[in-house]
Amino acid sequence: MTTLTKTEGTAVPAGSDPFLSVRDLQVRFSTEDGIVKAVDGLSFDLERGETLGIVGESGSGKSVTNLAILGLHNPKATEIGGEIVLDGDELTGAREKTLEKLRGNKMAMIFQDALTALSPYYTVGRQIAEPFMKHTGASKREGRQRAIEMLTKVGIPQPSLRVDDYPHQFSGGMRQRAMIAMALVCNPQLLIADEPTTALDVTVQAQILDLLKDLQQEFGSAIILITHDLGVVANTADKLLVMYAGRAVERGSVKEILTQPRHPYTWGLLSSMPRLSSDVSEALHPIPGSPPSLLTPPSGCAFHPRCGFTAEVGGARCTDERPLLEAGRAAACHLSAEQKQTLFTEQIKPRLG
Amino acid sequence: MLQFLLRRTFGAVVILVLLSAFTFFVFFGAGDPAAMSCGKNCTADNIALIHQNLGLDKPLTTQFWDFLVGIFAGRDYSIGHCSAPCFGYSFATKQDVWSTMMDRLPTTASLAIGGAVVFLTVGLGTGLIAAYKRGSVLDKVLTSVSMVLSSAQIYILGPIALGLFVYSGIMESPKYVDFTSDPAGWFMGLLLPWLVMSTIFTAQYTRMSRSTMIEQLQEEHVRTAKAKGMASSYVFLRYAWRGSLIPIVTILGMDLSSLFGGAMITEFTFQLAGIGRLAIDSVTTLDLPMVMGVLIFSAALILVFNIIVDATYAFIDPRVRLS
Amino acid sequence: MNAFSTRRARAAIVALAAGSLALTGCSGGSGSGQDKSQTDKDAAAQAKAIPMGTAADSVGPAVAVKDAHSGGTIRVYQRDSYNHLDPGQMYVSDMKALSQLIFRGLTSFKQDDKGNAKVVGDLATDAGQMSDGGKTWKYTLKDGIKFEDGTPITSKDIRHSIERLYAKFITDGPTYVQQWLSGGGTTYRKALPDGPYKGDHLPKTVLDTPDAKTVIFHFKQPNSQLPYALTMPGYSAVPDSAKDTKDAYDVAPVSSGPYKIASFKSGKAMQLVRNKNWDPKTDAMRHQYPDGYNITFNHQASDSTKRLMADQGEAKNAISFTNAVDPTLTKNVLDNADASKRLVQGYQPYVWQMNFNMDRIKDKKIRDAITYALPNQQIVRVNGGSYGGEIAGGLLAPTVAGYKKGYDPYGKISHPNGEPEKAKKLLKEAGKTGMKLVYAYSNTEVRQKEAVVIEDALTKAGFNVQKKEVDAASWYEQMGKVKNGFDIYMTGWGQDWPDASTVIPPSYDGTTIQDGSSNYSHVNDKHVNAEIARISKITDVAKATAEWQKLHQYIVEKVNPAAPVFYTKMLQLYGSNIGGARYNLDVSYIDPNTLFLKK
Repeated sequence: MTTLTKTEGTAVPAGSDPFLSVRDLQVRFSTEDGIVKAVDGLSFDLERGETLGIVGESGSGKSVTNLAILGLHNPKATEIGGEIVLDGDELTGAREKTLEKLRGNKMAMIFQDALTALSPYYTVGRQIAEPFMKHTGASKREGRQRAIEMLTKVGIPQPSLRVDDYPHQFSGGMRQRAMIAMALVCNPQLLIADEPTTALDVTVQAQILDLLKDLQQEFGSAIILITHDLGVVANTADKLLVMYAGRAVERGSVKEILTQPRHPYTWGLLSSMPRLSSDVSEALHPIPGSPPSLLTPPSGCAFHPRCGFTAEVGGARCTDERPLLEAGRAAACHLSAEQKQTLFTEQIKPRLG
Repeated sequence: MLQFLLRRTFGAVVILVLLSAFTFFVFFGAGDPAAMSCGKNCTADNIALIHQNLGLDKPLTTQFWDFLVGIFAGRDYSIGHCSAPCFGYSFATKQDVWSTMMDRLPTTASLAIGGAVVFLTVGLGTGLIAAYKRGSVLDKVLTSVSMVLSSAQIYILGPIALGLFVYSGIMESPKYVDFTSDPAGWFMGLLLPWLVMSTIFTAQYTRMSRSTMIEQLQEEHVRTAKAKGMASSYVFLRYAWRGSLIPIVTILGMDLSSLFGGAMITEFTFQLAGIGRLAIDSVTTLDLPMVMGVLIFSAALILVFNIIVDATYAFIDPRVRLS
Repeated sequence: MNAFSTRRARAAIVALAAGSLALTGCSGGSGSGQDKSQTDKDAAAQAKAIPMGTAADSVGPAVAVKDAHSGGTIRVYQRDSYNHLDPGQMYVSDMKALSQLIFRGLTSFKQDDKGNAKVVGDLATDAGQMSDGGKTWKYTLKDGIKFEDGTPITSKDIRHSIERLYAKFITDGPTYVQQWLSGGGTTYRKALPDGPYKGDHLPKTVLDTPDAKTVIFHFKQPNSQLPYALTMPGYSAVPDSAKDTKDAYDVAPVSSGPYKIASFKSGKAMQLVRNKNWDPKTDAMRHQYPDGYNITFNHQASDSTKRLMADQGEAKNAISFTNAVDPTLTKNVLDNADASKRLVQGYQPYVWQMNFNMDRIKDKKIRDAITYALPNQQIVRVNGGSYGGEIAGGLLAPTVAGYKKGYDPYGKISHPNGEPEKAKKLLKEAGKTGMKLVYAYSNTEVRQKEAVVIEDALTKAGFNVQKKEVDAASWYEQMGKVKNGFDIYMTGWGQDWPDASTVIPPSYDGTTIQDGSSNYSHVNDKHVNAEIARISKITDVAKATAEWQKLHQYIVEKVNPAAPVFYTKMLQLYGSNIGGARYNLDVSYIDPNTLFLKK
């Protein structure tokens, strides 16, 4: 069992299954060049009212994982393995009809770019009302009422007028709110937010994140927040999963990972993040190299070609042997706990300032 | 919208005037219409007389001006008054150009519209099915059939169809029957031309509809709709299909002139007398008024349809409507 | 199949046709053997002029066609629409077939079932009474002749029909009678500049109508050709009433024949229905068997041939007035046991000749060399083989009185593929071996194919051939220019009626040379000019024919302005329910007068 015991917040009755449980998830795309292992052996759990942050670079498998939860991959080109259990229901291999009933209802998703994720051809109101009508059997009028209500809730001014607007008539922040309104219209118990604030400016970003928090308070939903921005996670999430090349490389509470990161990749992420307190003249430390190809992932530890500490491990372990991610608070790295501790305190922490 | 229409209409009129001026002046380099009719009497005196009868003895600019004025105000000829829109009388047959065109129009319009209905319903429908079942055997069959048929030119398919169905006696010869007097005869008479004419378009629109649908299905907003729990058929038709209308309407707008061209070839293949036939006949007989009439009329039609197509964007795409 | 296929073919080459050699009826079996024997059988009659019928020959009704039935509508597949319906503007054989059904003139050709033709009175009681040494011709109108509206046709209408041809809007029709009455070239127009429309008439000394039944022509020169000329559609009767709408008459003419136009959609279709005011008792050659004709246009030869060959549905009741069997389908038709029984064939009046521009090729030896070098057989093959044409030895067609069977001074018939060695020798004698020869041809498929074999043959004979392709639509206009810039070019000339006077003067009279003249070779030979002037005045047609024959031989042998290439032939197919099909010598297509539907 890899469930993290929460130190605060809602307690989970012992012995009961988690609200969302992902076990050994495998997502493979067949392409012309071969099989892409987009997600390879991912496991995590999530409880109601809890927020899980998933961080990682583009292509690390964050979004693929969440699309797999909603079952939105094209079944003809995708092979999904492992299991995803939502509130006791097995989702992998579930019938399309079953999934349709869950989507937008019990589980909903907020997409990254509301401009492209909303249809340009229908009014905001209609797009918000659609899942509500579908899942609750509400009439058109009720759907519209609900849309106005949702727009009010997400802070759109003059909602009864704006409900008939098209997405392109909304500003970026408003569109994102509308997107959230759409995701929340059926009070989902699982909300997946895929980089919900990336495209927005900072003030709006904060408002949106606050909004998500408020809504979570109100409905007690579980939230998966996908981002590559650790700053966003720091204020919002309870738990954190760091992904690299389709695998989880570090897991822990937000506080643990931000203050005591154990994986060289997490170190890299933190080092490459600018801080307000830091001197302008002080250089950032981006991770050298670029994410690996998932078609032919590196042998051993997938991070080894970009890792500055393989020498510390010694021998060929990093290139030959894939480090495992232990249960609980853990990092998948061959460095020993002491090495990690020493390296972090001596080399990394000073950089973070 | 009104401003858009006014602007476009003005543009169309400018294009038409330039086009007609160009044709009018180029036409006189093509040959002498008088020499087409003088028979054994092609002496200089007789040619001069024919020029005088046809009004070709006046300066070119005067002739063109009279022609333009005639279109809007009507004109008097020795044959009689020709009321606006007056394109004059045919050099070759003395028939009134406007009424000849109006007589031919139903044939070409029936061909083009009927053909378009066939290829739009069959082509787009087949494309939708192929896209919905993409990757399946059905999809592969439909795709390869449409691939083959997309090079099925009318002038190749037409004679084959005639040989198989008409000369063999299975079907009556294609003919144009007035729709209002005999709708069934109209339909049966044009069925073969429609099918032959629309085959190549059907194939092309099948492929286009399939590929734009598949493209649309990759769109994020389509995925969003799915993520909302909407049924896949609903997503397919309301979201993806809606999006693919725009590229299809765009291509359709560009295809209008080839649709007209297709109707012309079809008229030729099936011995139907439409505007296209008239165009070709009038060019080969150097029948200037008829050439001008047909040219301006069909260019105007194409321009009008282009405006209509552009206007329909507004209905399909709210982004165009409101910006 | 030839240059007439340019739309609105120039009347210059698509003139009226007639001739006693043409084959009649269907060819029964198939194959060229029959074709040949028919040709031989009728060949003897060629030198004879078509005789004038008597008054008795001119009396109606026409002899009934064997087994003929009344009723039904004949379907007609035509390629080209009719550009003119005003008879005064008609000069093209497409229209001649139509004019047979709807118009009548003073005279017409009457053909018996043995293929012999005569000129008889049509509206007139006979072919014409000549007096005053050929300067005066008198016609008396029959009783009971009417226009389609029931108005009787009187001498005033005939005078009007002639006088309106002087008006400025009449430009495309024949000009023979006007010129004989009032002066050559276009000077005749000065005699009546506005036609009869402003109340002016020709003086009685020129055209007289002493009473309602009599018309008298007074010519300046003796004339023997009037009865022939008056058979042309251009001289058909037009009512002297408000129904003659001048320019507009071209779209709404008044019928005098057995049929009238019920509807005409230019370029689409024409419906002919019975003219109830046509009285068969007044007509010696026409019938009114079918209820009408349903003509549609735009049928290419390949389409009409395929429809008629398949003989399905309405095609059983179908003919084409002027579409030939498509040359590419001739073999299929002949090999088809059923279709080969449904053919009519005969000579067309055209002679294709290779004109020499005599302003540029002045040495006769060079002209002879080209004549010897030409591969006539191969050219005929390109034109559909023995059903499309026959190698020409001279410049008079088998349809013209004066044609002499086997006349072949350049050995074209005996050496159908040409004699390159002889040509080479002549060219050497002229000292012009390797001379540049500018050869023009029109850009139609057949002419292009011909150009290949002609270029090849001339090159073998030692010429340096420069081919120049010319747009078919303006072909005759360009060749008609005096300074056309070409050395050799093929033209086809057809008679207006089967008399050499409609062939030799227009083609070889040096006094007519000007832009637009049909003397395409620019022949200007003093002897020829003098002979033309002399023979034209001979009123005895038989004597004139003998003189024309002599002059023709002089032109071919002593002047050689154009190498004879081939005579054109016509092969037509009709539906299985069509009866009475035969070749009409006058229209040189299927005879519209005798057709009926079998059931």
